[in-house]
Parts: sequence; C-alpha cells; structure tokens
Amino acid sequence: MKMQPAISTVNLTKRFGGVIATDGVDLSVSSGEIRCIIGPNGAGKSTLFALLCGIHAPDGGEILLGGRDVTRLPAFRRVRLGLGLTFQTNRAYHNLTIAQNLEIARRRNSARVDSDALRRYQHAIGLFELDQLTDLPARALPHHQLQWLEIAMVLAGGPDVILLDEPTAGMSPEETMQTASVLRTLNGMGLTIVVVEHDIAFVREIAHRVTVLHEGRIFAEGSVAEITAHEDVRNIYLGRA
Amino acid sequence: MDTLGLLASILYQFGTNAAFLLLAAIGLVVILGMMNIINLAHGELMMMGAYIATIVTHRGIPFPLAVLLAFLLVAMFGAALERVIIRRFYGHELGALVVTWGISLIMGQGTLLFFGPFMPSIGIPGGSFSLGAYSFATYWIVLIGVSAILIAALWWIYQNTRFGLMARATMQKAAMAEALGVNTDRVYMLTFALGSGLAGACGALLAPTVSISPLMGQQFVAPAFITVVVGGAANVLLGAIGSSLLLSAVKTPVGLLFGAFIGTVALLLTALIIIRLMPNGVSFYLQRFTERRVGA
Amino acid sequence: MRLLHLVNGGEDLGRSRWFWIGFAAVILALVALPLYQTEFEASNASYYLLNIPLALGLSMLWGYCGILSFGQVAYFGIAGYAYGVIAGNLTETSWGPLVGSVGGLLLCAAVGAIFGYFVFFGRVQGWIVPILTLVFTLLLETFLGQTAGYQWRIGAVQLGGYNGMTGIPPFQIGNFIFQGYAFYFFALSLTVAVYFISRILMNAHFGKIMIAIREDVLRTETLGYDVRFYQLGVFVLAAMLAGLSGLLYVQWGNYITPSQVGLLPAALPVIWVAVGGRNRLLAVAIATYLLNWINYTLSEAGNQYAPVIMGALLLLVMLFFPRGIIVAIAELRWPWRRDVTPVSVQDRSA
Ligand SMILES: Nc1ncnc2c1ncn2[C@@H]1O[C@H](COP(=O)(O)OP(=O)(O)OP(=O)(O)O)[C@@H](O)[C@H]1O
Ligand SMILES: [Mg+2]
Repeated sequence: MKMQPAISTVNLTKRFGGVIATDGVDLSVSSGEIRCIIGPNGAGKSTLFALLCGIHAPDGGEILLGGRDVTRLPAFRRVRLGLGLTFQTNRAYHNLTIAQNLEIARRRNSARVDSDALRRYQHAIGLFELDQLTDLPARALPHHQLQWLEIAMVLAGGPDVILLDEPTAGMSPEETMQTASVLRTLNGMGLTIVVVEHDIAFVREIAHRVTVLHEGRIFAEGSVAEITAHEDVRNIYLGRA
Repeated sequence: MDTLGLLASILYQFGTNAAFLLLAAIGLVVILGMMNIINLAHGELMMMGAYIATIVTHRGIPFPLAVLLAFLLVAMFGAALERVIIRRFYGHELGALVVTWGISLIMGQGTLLFFGPFMPSIGIPGGSFSLGAYSFATYWIVLIGVSAILIAALWWIYQNTRFGLMARATMQKAAMAEALGVNTDRVYMLTFALGSGLAGACGALLAPTVSISPLMGQQFVAPAFITVVVGGAANVLLGAIGSSLLLSAVKTPVGLLFGAFIGTVALLLTALIIIRLMPNGVSFYLQRFTERRVGA
Repeated sequence: MRLLHLVNGGEDLGRSRWFWIGFAAVILALVALPLYQTEFEASNASYYLLNIPLALGLSMLWGYCGILSFGQVAYFGIAGYAYGVIAGNLTETSWGPLVGSVGGLLLCAAVGAIFGYFVFFGRVQGWIVPILTLVFTLLLETFLGQTAGYQWRIGAVQLGGYNGMTGIPPFQIGNFIFQGYAFYFFALSLTVAVYFISRILMNAHFGKIMIAIREDVLRTETLGYDVRFYQLGVFVLAAMLAGLSGLLYVQWGNYITPSQVGLLPAALPVIWVAVGGRNRLLAVAIATYLLNWINYTLSEAGNQYAPVIMGALLLLVMLFFPRGIIVAIAELRWPWRRDVTPVSVQDRSA
C-alpha cells in the first residue's frame, strides 16, 4: 500500500528579484519519515521552509499538506492543519519566561492537541529538561536549551509534521546527539520530521532519507549511504560544481 | 485654443500637486529610506526652514539665498538632534517615532511662545501668465522643475558619490558596512542632517505659498506621510516619485471637483487601499519591475 | 476564584497583600473625596479620571501589543460628537443619553474595525499604523473644523465648526441626572471597572498573546495564531475605551470642539502612557491622573509653557526612563521589599 505523503510540493518556485531561490522543487516526505535536507549556503533550504509554512508566497507550484492543497493558505492556517516550524535563528520569545513561552505555544481550544500530540509534547519537555525551569526568562537559557525550547513550543501546537531549520547549529557534539535521540524518540511516537542540517554526523544518526538542494533545485535524493557516496554532492559542498 | 489652455491647466494642477507632495515628503523619505526612522518632527523642520527663509527675506536677502540658508541651518540643527537624541533610538522603530513626536511638540509650541501665532509671509516671487482663460503662477512652474531636479540630484548622489556608496552599504547591512570600515555613525549623522536640511529647504521653498505660523508644520504632515506610506520602504526614491505621481492623479480631479479637503481625504483612502492591496508600497512593485527589466 | 487569580496575575504592578491594602486605601480615599473636597474640585477630579480609560486602551495597544497609535483622540472625538448629536436630538426622552452613549461606542467600534481591517489585514510594517492613525486624526480635525455652516446641522444639533458643539446633555438614567458629585462617582466607578477588566484581560490568555505579538509577530503567527485578528481586536477595544473617555468628557463638560482632536491633545495620551510605563496598566492610570492634574494646574495658572513642558517630559522619559517613571519608582528596591524575583518581563523593543 502506498502511503499518502505527509507534506509534498509540486514544481515549487520562488524568486527574489533576480535570484531564483526555489526552482521547480518536487519534494515528497512520507508520513512517519525523518527527512534531512542538506545543501551549501544559499541553496534555498530556508526559503523552501518559508514557502512550506506560508511565510512567503510562491511564484509558482503547489504545496500539499496531508494531501490537501495549502498553497494559498496563510501560515497560521497551515499550522492549525498540523504543521510546525522552527527558525534558523532562534525565535523563542527571549524576553518572556519559559512558562510564558510554553503557555503561548499551547493554543486554547485546539482540536489538534489529541492524546498522541500531548504525549509527544510532555515527553519532549521532560527529555529537554525544561519542566523544572518555568520562571526563568528564556534568554537566560544556554544556547542548546533555547533551541530545544523552540522545538518544544512547536510541539505544543500538536503538529503531525515539523520543519526544523538547523536545530543543532552551535551545539556541542554531545548536545547534538542528545537532540538526535529526542527527535528519534518523537519520530517513534508518530511525528514526521523534516530537518535542514549541515552536520553530517547528525544526519547519519537520524535521517531516513536525504534531499540535497543546490541553487534552488533538488540535486539528489536518497538514503544517507547513497548521498554520502555521491561524488557530485561532495563537489557542490566543496564548491566545485 | 481653449482646449489647449484647459489641458495645460489640468497638467499644471497635476504637476503642482505632485510637486507639493514630493517637496513635503522628500526629507522624510531620505531619513526613512536610509535609517529606517520615521521623523515625526519633519513638519516642524519644514516650519523652521520656512521661518528662516521668511525672516531673512524680510531683511532683504534674496530668496534663493534664503532657501540655501534654510537648508544649511536646518541641516545643522538636524545633525545636532541626531547626535544628542535620535542616535539612541536606532533599531527602536516605535521609540524613535515617539521621541521625534516629542521634539515636534516642543518645536511647534516653543515657536508659538517665541514668535507668537503669526508672521507676515513673503509674497510669491515671479508673476503669473495666462493661456486662454487659465492663469499659471510662474513660481509653481519653477517648483515643479525644482522638485524634479532635487530627486535627480539625490539619485545622482546615491549612485555616484562616496557618501552615496557608503550610505547604500549602511542601508543594506549596517554591521557589514561597519566591518568594511565605513563609519556608519557618521553616515547616519550626515543622512539625518541631509534629510533635515531638505525638509528645511522645502519648507523655505513652500513658504511663499502658505501662511506662516508655528503650527504650519501640521499641514505638511498628512501629505508627506501619506506619500511615504504609499511609496513604501523598498526603494524610497522610486517610491516617492511613484506615489507622488499616483496621489496627484487622485487628488487633482477629486480636488477640482470636490474641494481641497475631500482631496486630502481621498489621499488617505488611497493610502488605505494601497496598503491593503500592496502592503510594501508601490516602490516594491516599481523595484521588481525595473529588476525584471534589467534581469531580462 | 479563577477571576481573582487573573486579577492578581503578573502582567501589572503589585501582587502582594500590602499592595492591595494600599490600593484599597487609595480607592477609599477617592470614594470619600466628597467629604473633604468641594464639588468644583470633585468635578476637576472627574476630568482627571475620565481620561484613564483612553490611556488604558493605549497601554494595551502599545505597551502590551506593540501597536502604536497617535490617533486615540480621534475615537474620543467621534464618540463625543456622536453622543452630542444623538442625545441632543432625543432631549424629549429620558433615555436619550443612554442611546447616545451606546451609539457613540458602537460608532467607535465600527470606525476602528474598518480602519483596523485595512491596516492589519494588509499586514503593514510597524511604522505605518501610527502614521495613518495620526493622519486620520488630522483629517478628522480638519473635517470638524469646517462644519461651521448651517448645512452642518443634524436634526436639532449644530456641529459648529471650530466653535464646537455646545449644550450637550449630561448623562441620565431614568430621571436621575449625573452631575457634580454624582458624575464624579459615575466616572470613578467606570474607571475602576475598566481598570479591573483590562487587568484581567491582560493577565488572561488574550494578554499573553498580545505580548507574544509584541515580541515577535512572525513566531506568533507560526504558532497558529491569526495575528491580524488579535491586532484588530485590541485596536477596536482601545478605540472603544477612547470612545468611553470621549463620552464621559462631553457628559462632564457639555461641549466639545475640534481642537479636542488636534495634534496637541493627540500627543497627550502618548505622554501619559510613556511616563507611567506603557506595559503596566496601573502605572498608566496613575500617570494619567497626575499628569492631567499637573497640566490643569499649570494652564490654570496661566502658564503657557504647559505643552512645551509636556513635550520635554516625553523626551526625558524616552531618554532616561524608557520603561516609565512610575514603573521605575515601583521597581526600586524598597527597603521593606524582600522578593528579589525579576519583576516579570521587560519590553525592550520600545
Ligand atoms: N527575503 C529575501 N529577499 C531576497 N533574497 C533572499 C531572501 N531570502 C533568501 N534570499 C536569497 O535566496 C537564496 C536562498 O536563501 P536561503 O536562505 O533559502 O538559503 P539557505 O539554503 O537556507 O542558506 P543557509 O545555509 O545559509 O541558511 C539566497 O541567495 C538568498 O540570498
Ligand atoms: Mg538557511
């Protein structure tokens, strides 16, 4: 039986002035998958996320979330349909306390937060060691925990699919592996995860499949082994293609 | 003959309105575009320019010289303001708004205390001529030309001078420009001085056409700010040209048919509709359009 | 119980028992005011009080939600004029003032909603809202100023151009007319009620979302909130509170002129809110009362410098007490204060 993709795009395109940041991308992430997106700086990874989440409007193409066309929906509607996003630069509310951050993130009367989602959220809070720290302002957190806080905030909305833009940037190797392990656990609880990442050790640790973006296009796609063996992928990372 | 006169008259009205909007907005535009600061004391800086020009013209100084003097003095005042107050509010958009609003209050009310409620204005220089049944003030024709020259000059400064280059670098990435050795601090001060000076000069230029009073700055607030809002911040010079032409195209017929007040109301309505349809202002689209052309 | 909890939440000044004792004492002193002040002084106090709803609305809008408005006096004027027109045409009945009040508030809500729809649903940049509110206010003043002619007569009421609208009926329920001390109690109870409602609202989930929007619009939207809707909501609320102040103003002074909607009156609420501390309701209420008192005392003494002094005060506060003077005083380490918990969250964005 072929599963419906959790999130997918058809010929997605975005221009900024003369720059084509996303160029005819056909991406399809299955439900329950951990997908890593890699690519050199400026490849269009963050732009792709912004398009998926509705922060930018595409110039062409379609976005399907759970089979439903969401191309024209504003960001908050997509979130209510089960999408979550963290930003490349941390955007937890740095001036608010951790309790406030999480309280804002838990929307009232949201039908999304079913028992599965709630379990994932509470589990993550525990694993991220955020449950003890309620009255601390977020800006007082160490960097890695601030990243975790933003992930926890996204989980509070009860998403089916989360998009994480370089969640482990700036973390120590141990913290990176700890993040990987939490994400794997959450994935085991039914969460689909799409993550932009440069750290190949992290990618090896969690990715089911890897998509390589280059100059706005999908350059290659496959398992971790296939991608790391790919000669051209190494070349674009070294700037030779 | 008379259709020609009518056409000329409509064109003249259109040009007058566009020139007024552009002159009222230009100093504001320079400061917004470069520093992302809305200067609510803009109207009062124009008032200051008008006062300077009026006072020295009454003392017998030729009007063009008076305008130049207004530019210089108000620019110096602007530089001082930037040093002492404005610089503390970079990156605090709303804080800057509030603080410049406080400055405008002090300037307006202070002038009222010092100079009283009225000052005899200077007559419009140059005469008028007529074409058929329609008459045209030479001075307004000159103002239309002056506003075109001002815009062209600003454009040239940004494209071709060292200051322009540094200013554009600062505008795009202040931190990066700083790292590359641009003294962003000075660029900001000079920009604020330039914007203030332009406000002063434009106030002086418009002084013969309006009545001179301490609260005269208020009459420039609506047109200037609407022009800026409609123009947007993507490319302020382009935006200022586009929006003053667009707004004049709205105001001229509405004003002719229903009077000046309804004309100004039409401006506000246009602004509301424009921001609903194109939240980034017309400059965003003009910019995209020119980029497409260049890219193609 | 839950309501009590919200009243005592962390988004306003003062949560301790001693604070509430002091608060009660001040309210008591205000209630007892007729015992030690003349009717004239009570009438002045009414004027200081009646500006507080407007200021609280601006505080929620600007201090909590990060939307600056220079145009709150526009809604003040709209409600005042609407009341004048409606109540002035219904002088035969005892319920005219009530209808006028409701009509004024509804008109404010409608105008605020239309204006807010264009502004917030266009998702404009932060600086555009204050500019457009300012332009709106200026146009309203210009419009009202040119209504001197006889054609600007609505029913029995003359709009009156710069001479203003006179003879506006006082508030009345049944046969009871609110004047003198009665009006003072009316204004006091409305003000206190508005304060508590605002405080509850800002401590509730709604208030949390206001703060979230102030801190980061995009993050809040991508947590699933329709930011535009909340912005519109608080904008309409602030418009109605400004309208409430406008109603009280015309019921108090029985007249209104376009200069109430001018640039100088438009600046004053921003000053009250900034001087108090924009994201602390109680500080705003206190500053509004005190500054109105000072302003009145200055201009009563024939001091023409009052507007300049107010402007200078605004400058000084923005430069040296960006979080507000009253807030700065409240957060001093008083010797008897033991709690060293960081006093909630600070808004650094200005
Ligand atoms: N808002 C914007 N306006 C103009 N150009 C943009 C904008 N956002 C992105 N770009 C351009 O689009 C291209 C892709 O940028 P994007 O941020 O998506 O890359 P990325 O793969 O996330 O890079 P990084 O690894 O550095 O995060 C770049 O050339 C960038 O300059
Ligand atoms: Mg990126």
